[in-house]
Amino acid sequence: MSEPMRLLRLSWRGLKRDLRAGDVRALFVALALAVAASTMIGFFLDRLDRGLTRQAGQLLGGDVVLEQSRPFETELRETLESAGLTLSDQVDMVSMVSRGDAFQSVSLKAVDDVYPHYGVSRISRGGDVEEVADGPPRGEVWVAPRLAMLLDVETGDSLRVGGGEFRVGAVIEREADPSAGFGSFNPRLMMHVDDLPTTGLVQEGSRIEYELLAAGSAQAVEDVAPLLARLRTEGVEVQDVREDRPRLGSALARADRYLSLAGLAAVLLAGVAVAMATRRYVERHLDTAALLRCFGASQRELVWIFALQLLWLALTASLVGAVLGLAGQAALLALLGAVMPIELPPPGILPLGMGIFTALAVLAGFAGPTLLRLRRVSALKVLRRELDPLPASAWWVVVVAAGVFGGLLWLYSGDIVLALGLLFGGLLALLALWGVGNALLALLARLCARLPREAKTHDSLWRALRLGGQQLSRRRAASLGQLLAFATALFAMGMIALVRGDLLDTWRAQLPEDTPNHFAINIQPAERDAFEAALTGAAEARSALYPMVRGRITAIEGQPPREMVPEESRGDNALRRELNLTWSAELPTGNRLVAGEWFEPSASTAEEGWMGAVAADPVAPISMERELAERLGLALGDTLTFTVGSETLQGRVASLRDLDWDSFRPNFYVIFPPGVLEQFGHSYITAFHLDDGQQDLVRGLIRDFPAVTLLDVESILSRVREVLDQVTRAVELVLVFVLLAGVSVLYAALVASMPVRAHEAGLLRVFGAGDRLLSRIQGAEFALLGLASGLLAASLAELAAAGIYTTWLDLSPRWHPALWVGLPLGGILLVGGIGQLLSRGLRRRAPAASLGLLGET
Amino acid sequence: MSNSSHENANAPILHAEDLTKQVVSGERHLTILKELNLSVLPGESLAILGQSGAGKSTLLGLLAGLDAPSTGRLAMFGQALGALDEDGRARLRAGRVGFVFQNFQLLPTLTALENVLMPLELTAVADAEARARSWLSRVGLGERLDHLPKQLSGGEQQRVALARAFVTGAELVFADEPTGNLDPTTGERIIDTLFELNHEAGTTLVLVTHDHALARRCDRCLRLADGQLVEMTREEVGA
Repeated sequence: MSEPMRLLRLSWRGLKRDLRAGDVRALFVALALAVAASTMIGFFLDRLDRGLTRQAGQLLGGDVVLEQSRPFETELRETLESAGLTLSDQVDMVSMVSRGDAFQSVSLKAVDDVYPHYGVSRISRGGDVEEVADGPPRGEVWVAPRLAMLLDVETGDSLRVGGGEFRVGAVIEREADPSAGFGSFNPRLMMHVDDLPTTGLVQEGSRIEYELLAAGSAQAVEDVAPLLARLRTEGVEVQDVREDRPRLGSALARADRYLSLAGLAAVLLAGVAVAMATRRYVERHLDTAALLRCFGASQRELVWIFALQLLWLALTASLVGAVLGLAGQAALLALLGAVMPIELPPPGILPLGMGIFTALAVLAGFAGPTLLRLRRVSALKVLRRELDPLPASAWWVVVVAAGVFGGLLWLYSGDIVLALGLLFGGLLALLALWGVGNALLALLARLCARLPREAKTHDSLWRALRLGGQQLSRRRAASLGQLLAFATALFAMGMIALVRGDLLDTWRAQLPEDTPNHFAINIQPAERDAFEAALTGAAEARSALYPMVRGRITAIEGQPPREMVPEESRGDNALRRELNLTWSAELPTGNRLVAGEWFEPSASTAEEGWMGAVAADPVAPISMERELAERLGLALGDTLTFTVGSETLQGRVASLRDLDWDSFRPNFYVIFPPGVLEQFGHSYITAFHLDDGQQDLVRGLIRDFPAVTLLDVESILSRVREVLDQVTRAVELVLVFVLLAGVSVLYAALVASMPVRAHEAGLLRVFGAGDRLLSRIQGAEFALLGLASGLLAASLAELAAAGIYTTWLDLSPRWHPALWVGLPLGGILLVGGIGQLLSRGLRRRAPAASLGLLGET
Repeated sequence: MSNSSHENANAPILHAEDLTKQVVSGERHLTILKELNLSVLPGESLAILGQSGAGKSTLLGLLAGLDAPSTGRLAMFGQALGALDEDGRARLRAGRVGFVFQNFQLLPTLTALENVLMPLELTAVADAEARARSWLSRVGLGERLDHLPKQLSGGEQQRVALARAFVTGAELVFADEPTGNLDPTTGERIIDTLFELNHEAGTTLVLVTHDHALARRCDRCLRLADGQLVEMTREEVGA
């Protein structure tokens, strides 16, 4: 047999035999969990990412959407098609339709036979709602329910569109590409693009938007990227799924980060478990190594035998972990079924590779330095037992493990600053834990020593506590190691549970029961009070009525905007279209000031109020939304010129705001102080919540305020709620994995400490301690360890939570009393429970066996 | 593995010249062995007697190449150990040297069979398992192959260790107080088995002990005192 084969066989046999030992099982479980957690989350995020891209494509109507005000040239079409993209034409315009004497302006969308690229539309042809993957056939129009209501038409009736008469074929419940229609406030009417000439609507000077929707592989989209960039600079509006993700939004982005965080926590925990288990593994194998040296194994052979043995272990654990991970991601997907598109890409091979790599890295990083100790075993140890090689320095072990974990952090997050920050933060925390842990142990030992010495009964609780405390302080170094491992485990478990709770609370708070589900726009100033009165009492929850003026940014610092903004923002919607401007004396609810100052009327003009303040300076202060300002490269103090109708006015950026775009409230990019925009024509907008049974009120509003446009966003709202529900369940499943990884640390650490405990238990037995007292002493020791670990973990978690919330998850930090109760209690129960379970066997053993008098090692 | 790798059958299998071992204890240099000389012929059985702390185990460690002397020359199978590093010495031992220890040194997670298999697997012997089974049968443990050490008595554990020492066809077996952890009756039986196996296999046996009954069974007895070896007469051993 060749040398490598011999070593492989030898190591494989060794591993099989070794599985009888608790430390190897602990190593196996820890590695399998690390792989399971990382592959599950890897698989899941990979598919989620691809799924979201697909969904974004569905919302946009294609992977790339081009838009301009004239038809697209054949040459461009040919270029896109030759790259492997399928094209679909669409024409959008605002037009009037009529039925008898009734007229209504509509948002007309004409589609071709290819429509839709993705997804299905839900329509009703007079009966049940059905799903169709087509647009209207020639000669037919489909109308939105609101249009049907306004014109009082049903399927089968006919409508006049421009110069043509069309049959109403269906009522559209949901369009296949909904985002395309969301920006327009007129009710939707869809028809076939071939019918457009019949209507005579396409004429010189008509405001028409031509869209070219392209669908294809990510590679095909990538291939045309340079062309898209050029088109952007030529003024074509280009939307690309990779950049224009829908704002489903921040909830999923947070969930994504949470899952990554949880995955890393599981890997870290598994790493700590591996480190603990390896210590015991190495101690147990010192004898094997010495014997092997005796029988003629060289140092190199020793290293190979043990390294290969652990490699086998890592590979089998990876396999088990990967299967668990696959099952886990399938469960995640089942929970998230409705968020994912129907056609899911199969799980990729990459996450599996990453999982195995993670196992090997964790093993090398957390076990490597400890393992090298086996190499230095002297054969003479078989004759002189005290000849153990020195253990690897604790700091050396920590530094190597931290290096490897830092590398994994970097690999997973792709963010080296974050990885380094977490790494050094973690090392500092460990240093602090070391000091605080030492002090805590000393304090516990002193407290326990003060417990009453004279107890009424032989095995009273106090006595057990005092003896348990003494045991802890006697083995100070070992106790400190265990304390740190437990504290790390409890900390990670606590953190993940904590962040989950706050994440869910934030989601719930984001969309409370009474979140506005209707928008009313175009409320004229004369109707404002009457509209407000109609809502008062009927709609419990509603936002304020905001005035709204349509204006366009026409200059930045006196120059054309296209010349002043970064190149990639030249085609930005905010520059191409009119923005909704508003004014307000107060910062609207849900807005957060992130830079500059909110408007303050100056003291000297206090009596004159805002009007005076503004009149004093022709350039009004304005407050801008932060992301828009960043996109356009604007900073505090920059001057913008707006054109409203035929007038112009100037504003200087005085503050930047963060908005909650998922709030279902009216949001504005630009806010003026009162006293500037009132001179222009304006209308009001508001949002309010109506229950299912309040449709009468809607009809009343439509009847009494015919010019006001009402938008029902309940279906979008319920979809977002659905997504949040499912993501919540996914988050809980991941939490279970982290908790399991935490338990594996506790298990590994306790298994590692068993030989010493066995020896002590044997001695106590010899000196006459009964089963009950022994059990109580050990129980007290575990409970004290658990309590101290829990307290340490709680303080660390509180600090870390504040850091993570503000920097990573975008949540505001808060105080968590539950941590200070939950973690110490959890520590007592978990460490106590697992410890008692593991040491039950010890107590049953004869003292001679525990003390090694029977020749056992 | 060849049993005749050293050329001359009468050349010593083990040869020590002016062997000295010093250890540093605190600030003091302790000399455990002083210019000690020894020659062991193939097939011979040799007992080294001595008081506790006389340095018997240190000498055994040196002779087996588990440790290196401070000064002096040492040869095993005709090969100078001083010229070899620790790995070289290990390679020299592989398959040719067997050990029996006072505390048995069985691995607790391995069955009796697996413990015996261990040295065979290291040298990749073809019929390893059959050989291990047969040796365990010879020491009377054919029915206890799958028992873990903790399921065996002390005597049974030492018999597993004997099977492990001889299974490779070792030319040289070192035994360190093989009966030290056993009661007299069990110890007696172990000695019987040890010499029986030694006789059958024609192995050279070097054992250190403070048990005169055990020493008497050897061809030659030496006493280790003040760091030197002194030949003992039959009478001295019997006394």
